Amino acid sequence: MTATRNPTDWRSDAMRRRIARRYAAERRFKLAGLLAVLLSAAFLAFLLVTMMGNGLRGFTRTEIAVKVDFPASPLLLDPNAITDQALANANLPMVTGEVVKKALGADAEEWVSPTAWTALRDAIKADPKILSRTETVRLPASTAIDLAAKGKGSSEAEAAVDRLNKAGVLSTGFNMGFLTASDGTDPTQVGIWGAFKGSLLTMLVTLALSFPVGVATAVYLEEYARKNWMTDIIEVSINNLAAVPSIIFGLLGLSIFLNVLHLPRSASLVGGMTLALMTMPVIVIAGRNAIKSVPPSIRDAALGIGASPVQVVFHHVLPLALPGILTGTIIGMARALGETAPLLMIGMRAFIATPPGGIVDPATVLPVQIFLWSDEVSKGFVEKTSAAIIVLLIFLLAMNGLAIYLRNKFERRW
Amino acid sequence: MTAMIQNQESMTPAVETKMTARDVKVFYGEKQAIKGVSIDVDMDNVTAFIGPSGCGKSTFLRTLNRMNDTVASARVEGTITLDGEDIYAPSMDVVQLRARVGMVFQKPNPFPKSIYENIAYGPRIHGLAHGKADLDVIVEKSLRRAGLWDEVKDRLHDSGTALSGGQQQRLCIGRAIAVEPEVILMDEPCSALDPIATAKIEELIHELRGRYAIVIVTHNMQQAARVSQRTAFFHLGELVEYGVTSDIFTNPKAERTKDYITGRYG
Repeated sequence: MTATRNPTDWRSDAMRRRIARRYAAERRFKLAGLLAVLLSAAFLAFLLVTMMGNGLRGFTRTEIAVKVDFPASPLLLDPNAITDQALANANLPMVTGEVVKKALGADAEEWVSPTAWTALRDAIKADPKILSRTETVRLPASTAIDLAAKGKGSSEAEAAVDRLNKAGVLSTGFNMGFLTASDGTDPTQVGIWGAFKGSLLTMLVTLALSFPVGVATAVYLEEYARKNWMTDIIEVSINNLAAVPSIIFGLLGLSIFLNVLHLPRSASLVGGMTLALMTMPVIVIAGRNAIKSVPPSIRDAALGIGASPVQVVFHHVLPLALPGILTGTIIGMARALGETAPLLMIGMRAFIATPPGGIVDPATVLPVQIFLWSDEVSKGFVEKTSAAIIVLLIFLLAMNGLAIYLRNKFERRW
Repeated sequence: MTAMIQNQESMTPAVETKMTARDVKVFYGEKQAIKGVSIDVDMDNVTAFIGPSGCGKSTFLRTLNRMNDTVASARVEGTITLDGEDIYAPSMDVVQLRARVGMVFQKPNPFPKSIYENIAYGPRIHGLAHGKADLDVIVEKSLRRAGLWDEVKDRLHDSGTALSGGQQQRLCIGRAIAVEPEVILMDEPCSALDPIATAKIEELIHELRGRYAIVIVTHNMQQAARVSQRTAFFHLGELVEYGVTSDIFTNPKAERTKDYITGRYG
């Protein structure tokens, strides 16, 4: 303090201007933050609206109500002996064609889906008594009619739809087949189940491999490894591994799992192993951070009453680090779930029309299915692609929801 | 406490020497933190380590149950014995040693588990309890000895971290005595507590005296005078003076001790 300095005048104009500038800066910063949030919300809303607009139609199908006079139809079935065998022998596809022609006209056979006979079969199975009377059955429309009814068909099909609308037989129903069927060539008949099951199996393999290995690595590096140049190199390598483009992991999977180990091509096992390589570094990094954030006093406390290092880890450090480890795991798994490129390299882009029975069966996964459908020429696949995206997003949300539930369950305060 | 080995070096047979340190040096990398400390800790007296910050009293305390092992760069020279057994010998199991030489830390650090689990953890990992009923007895006995039973007996399954600071520290003492240690090391156990909680801990130390050999590190000289019968004054990694507490405070022999006691530095 020098005697020549004047006391600060807190009410001077310079001081007031400084305060005004400070408040202005704060307002600007707040505004910028708000704009950023609004922008991302707008993007998200746009994404959801377009996706829902297109995708929800993928879950529906156009149905044609057909009056079937069962006694007069060429159907030879005993109402008292309806078995799967009897139904299989009844030549239902031919019968369906005949009843549609009779009800809607000679050219109407093309309007119903080639699998429309299954609707007839299910109706008979549900109530064999309808065989003795006239009954209205809703049959799924063919792709051409379905597209025209949704406003995107050819002029020929639109004319047919006009006729059907006049007759008042068109309706929209939930397309259960989309959830239970697998890939196919006809967009009204394809389903997501095969890809969904493939994704599920692949994720299970990924989790089973990457979680234990990742957590064990994190524990070893944090709790046991001496800090020297070796662990430094390992640390740098793991960080780099987390940033490696995923297609390179695909190439690695191709050259090692397929060419050296001769594991089955296109299988969820190989897909899961490849994705596990990708997920593991993420889990290791998250796990190390979570373990690091466990207060040292807890370790001291346990060591101080004679817990062995492994008891300290399993009784105290891991339970406290678990929420953080789970968060990291879910981030890694979510990334793996959406991954397409590495799976293309190991042959999971094949056309697979049956759901996989196990992890060694040929399979595809949701993002690859989306990729394949987006490449199709038929217009009917556009809405199927969007619908598949919705399924993928729901899968992702369910996974994240589970993670949040688990994290809250294990979270402890200290 | 079976098979007491009488320490040959014990000069006064009246007190039972529990731990002996001879010419102990501790290095952190190149830096020497403890410069040749020799001291005896006995069962009947509470031993206090006093000295200015950074004098090495906590470091030395942590060599007595090998907590310094967790510091990668730390190196210990000299011999420290517990009942005549070298605790740094390869045959000594460090996990068992820490059960025998318990520790209470500066900041209360209960596990983020229930009060019951905090106490039961030690007996459980060392297999000291035979069945649930036995464990219940150990928990009650330990909490009673830690002077906490009456305050927590109705909420044993509440979280230990929900207790007040002083209660948490007594819980930590209860946790340490639940494994029936022979020595309890206390590293500034009251520095994070208010005066009332401090008084309770000091009272507890009085009650525990004789049952366990107690070593307490404190930066509070009044506390050392109140709770201990033997005081060791550390300065710059050296043991300057060690003797009967009343002598140290009223009639210090070394000049540095006198300066510290009278508040010349610290």
